[in-house]
Amino acid sequence: MFGLPDEFTPGFLARLEKLRIRTRQRYAGLGRGMHLSPKRGSSLEFNDFRHYSPGDDFRYIDWGLYGRSDKLYIKLFQEEEDLLTYIFVDASASMGYPAGDRKFESAILTALALAYVALASGDRVMLRVLGGKGGKVDPSFVNGRHRIVELARRLADLKPGGQFDFATSLATELLAIRRAGKVFIVSDFLMLLNSVTRGLGMFTAASMDLTAVQILGGRELNGQGLDGDVEVVDSESGERLRVSIGDRERTQYRETMLRLTREIKSFCLKRGLHYALYTTDQDFQQFFVRAVRDLGLAH
Amino acid sequence: MGLLNPGALVFFALIPALVLAYLARERPSRVTVSSVLAFRALRGFRRERFGGWPRLDWMFFAEVLILSLAVLALAGPFTWKRTAPLAVVIDNSAAMQALTPAGKSRFEVAREKLDAALSVEDGRGEISVYVTAPQPRRVAPPFTTLTEARLALSRIKPTDAPNDQTTLENFLGNLASEARVAKVIFAGASALAAPVPARIHPIAVGDAVANAAIGSFSLRREVLGAEALHASLTIANFSPETRTLEIVVAGDGKEVARARETLGARETAALEFPAIPPARIYEAKLAPDDALALDNVAYATAGSVKNVSILFISPTPADAAGLNSIPGVEVTARTPDSYSPDELGSYDLAIFEYATPKEIPGVNTMLVMPPPNDPVFGLTVTPTAKVQIAGWRTTDTLTDSVNFRLLSLRGGEYFGTHPWMSQVVGGDGGALVLKGERGGHRFVATGFNPFPYLGKRNLPMSVLTLNAVSYLAGLGGSSGGYRTGQPWLVPAGVVSVILPSGRKKAAHPGTLFTDVSEQGVYELVNAGGTETPRAVNLADLTESDLSSSPLLKVEAANSGSAVEPVLEKASLSDYLLAAIIALTALEALIVYRRRRVAEAAS
Repeated sequence: MFGLPDEFTPGFLARLEKLRIRTRQRYAGLGRGMHLSPKRGSSLEFNDFRHYSPGDDFRYIDWGLYGRSDKLYIKLFQEEEDLLTYIFVDASASMGYPAGDRKFESAILTALALAYVALASGDRVMLRVLGGKGGKVDPSFVNGRHRIVELARRLADLKPGGQFDFATSLATELLAIRRAGKVFIVSDFLMLLNSVTRGLGMFTAASMDLTAVQILGGRELNGQGLDGDVEVVDSESGERLRVSIGDRERTQYRETMLRLTREIKSFCLKRGLHYALYTTDQDFQQFFVRAVRDLGLAH
Repeated sequence: MGLLNPGALVFFALIPALVLAYLARERPSRVTVSSVLAFRALRGFRRERFGGWPRLDWMFFAEVLILSLAVLALAGPFTWKRTAPLAVVIDNSAAMQALTPAGKSRFEVAREKLDAALSVEDGRGEISVYVTAPQPRRVAPPFTTLTEARLALSRIKPTDAPNDQTTLENFLGNLASEARVAKVIFAGASALAAPVPARIHPIAVGDAVANAAIGSFSLRREVLGAEALHASLTIANFSPETRTLEIVVAGDGKEVARARETLGARETAALEFPAIPPARIYEAKLAPDDALALDNVAYATAGSVKNVSILFISPTPADAAGLNSIPGVEVTARTPDSYSPDELGSYDLAIFEYATPKEIPGVNTMLVMPPPNDPVFGLTVTPTAKVQIAGWRTTDTLTDSVNFRLLSLRGGEYFGTHPWMSQVVGGDGGALVLKGERGGHRFVATGFNPFPYLGKRNLPMSVLTLNAVSYLAGLGGSSGGYRTGQPWLVPAGVVSVILPSGRKKAAHPGTLFTDVSEQGVYELVNAGGTETPRAVNLADLTESDLSSSPLLKVEAANSGSAVEPVLEKASLSDYLLAAIIALTALEALIVYRRRRVAEAAS
């Protein structure tokens, strides 16, 4: 529909428009918006009083207080601004495997859906791609819900590929971001836990409100398609392992995968981060609607 | 270097077969996955299983190396090694118990000197330790270190048995001739006569020691049926001066006789005690004490001078009736059908009339007119209607006082020449009375029937019968005669023997009992639990003569050759096995560590 993936039906877009991004703290934006800002401004949210000074807008003089105290006070209100939303999409080679699981496509769907929620709420969105090859994504904020089509087109040209160190790469991105805001990281997180925690930890240290969205293939999680004597090759490092896979080994493999996801989730919850797991064998629309709270969104 | 079993090298064919099997195996499919993170936990599963696919990494080649070493070990590789095997011979005979003036026994002195001799050896070969009494034998498999050999020496004790000098001389000669022995160290009471073979290094500890000894101690009943026994002892004085010796004989612990005898230097005397009251065990003690306590005591038993019990087996058992009239004789009659060989253990002698046993009896036996074609004794029998005595041995105990001219014989049988029984009385057609010894037992065969025993009514036949019974009952002979170190046949019915030390040994009738190194009284226990004493004494005045030990004349085939190192095959299999174990352990360790690392990484 209008260059958006098929999953973005009118009904789904309507449901996305009812959502907004929830943050645990207030962030300064770049323009007026719907999120309370740490600045004082002209919203309806009362914030504080101060003595009147010449030149102040006397529309904000509290006449009731003047009547009681015979002194002029100015009412201060909370500023409401837009939210700076950063969406990082992992486009490394691992997102392309297993090919039948369409992990990267699911990651793009997730990123676009999150971007649409932000844009529909009047927030600014910056989409960043980690790794990958093919098209380029403009590293600047966009606002206005119509810009979702532009983002979708840019992402459509991307192909997963290459290898990067998660923590190092995020550190580089963090240096480029000048203002704090909401961060979404969409990745399979199939890397050493130490690298994941270091990468995510840097964002929390920078006072970012972060949501980690883990995308795993349904076949990948269950070890389907692997049987007997197999030489498995790591899509990024090229490391090779010879294994023989039977029922027992498949069970053990699945348990290991689940343990890896549990460890990442546990880390996120301990640090006050949001965490959501999407496996590609699920219906995407249903997942997104059900995981609203996990994704750090609100109705 | 060589191989003991070169044929085992064919197993090397397994190694190329193993490599070919690896190369020919189906290659695993290759699959690219997002990350191998979760697969690391699975790593090595198949490799750890028996029969899993081989990997051409270093571990595969390590396993090929292990297999190669195993094949090589099967082939038994060896190298030639120059060694100097040592034979250590220690004299453990009774004479070695003698105390030296320093207060130590000869055996202790010998052991100390051997220990000192071993301490200067380089121990380049195996060390074999031998003892000499009762028969020369190796105490244990060869030792590889001098420490082990010295430890074994420290555990050896002298026996009560004498050396068999001829056997010892031959044994030492064989050792000195043995190509695998570089040096023989012999420590004993006897010195070696010149020329001493070059390989033998004698250590003599037989310095002259004054000693007095009991030579023999025997009992006999001179008259059938008499109560009193006649004891005979020989004593000797092996000292350079005249000594007065006192002998005390005790029966079952009570003194029954005493005598005092003064003997000159190296003089021997015989003591007779004609009326010793009956007892079960007699002990003779010689005083005063001297260097060798062992030969100051001797034992005797009345086992063979008790009442004579006879098992009479005959189709006409009534013939045995007259024998009961002889004082001191108890007869039990059986027909051949009711007779069991197991019964013999309870009797002193057996008489088979017109019958023969199915096996050589375990007691002294008399055969009266045995039937022809007997397979056990193999007697050649010629029946005759009228036997005629033609001659007899006048000095034989069987013919003593028999007036053969008055002997009236009717039908009977002549015996042909027998392989181990000799003729005592002969007739026109062959032998009429044979006697001989077999397996430690006495046998008499008569071609005429002396039964029934009629006493004075047939005096010549009765005298002949009494002579035969006395001979078979052991009367007139020594009741002793069992000497330390000399095995004896286990009598019928005996199931175990209690040694003088109190140890009980199982025994099987008809076999040689060899555990006879101790002097004292052995109790022979039959199936019913009855114990029969048997005295075993040193009874060897040559051994007791500590004033001059006999020289050993040892002749060796290579007596001229000096001590030479011996070329010996040294097996390399042990080293190969050690290498196999080390490689296997190393591989196991690395596999374990790899798995731990993989687990930690995942």
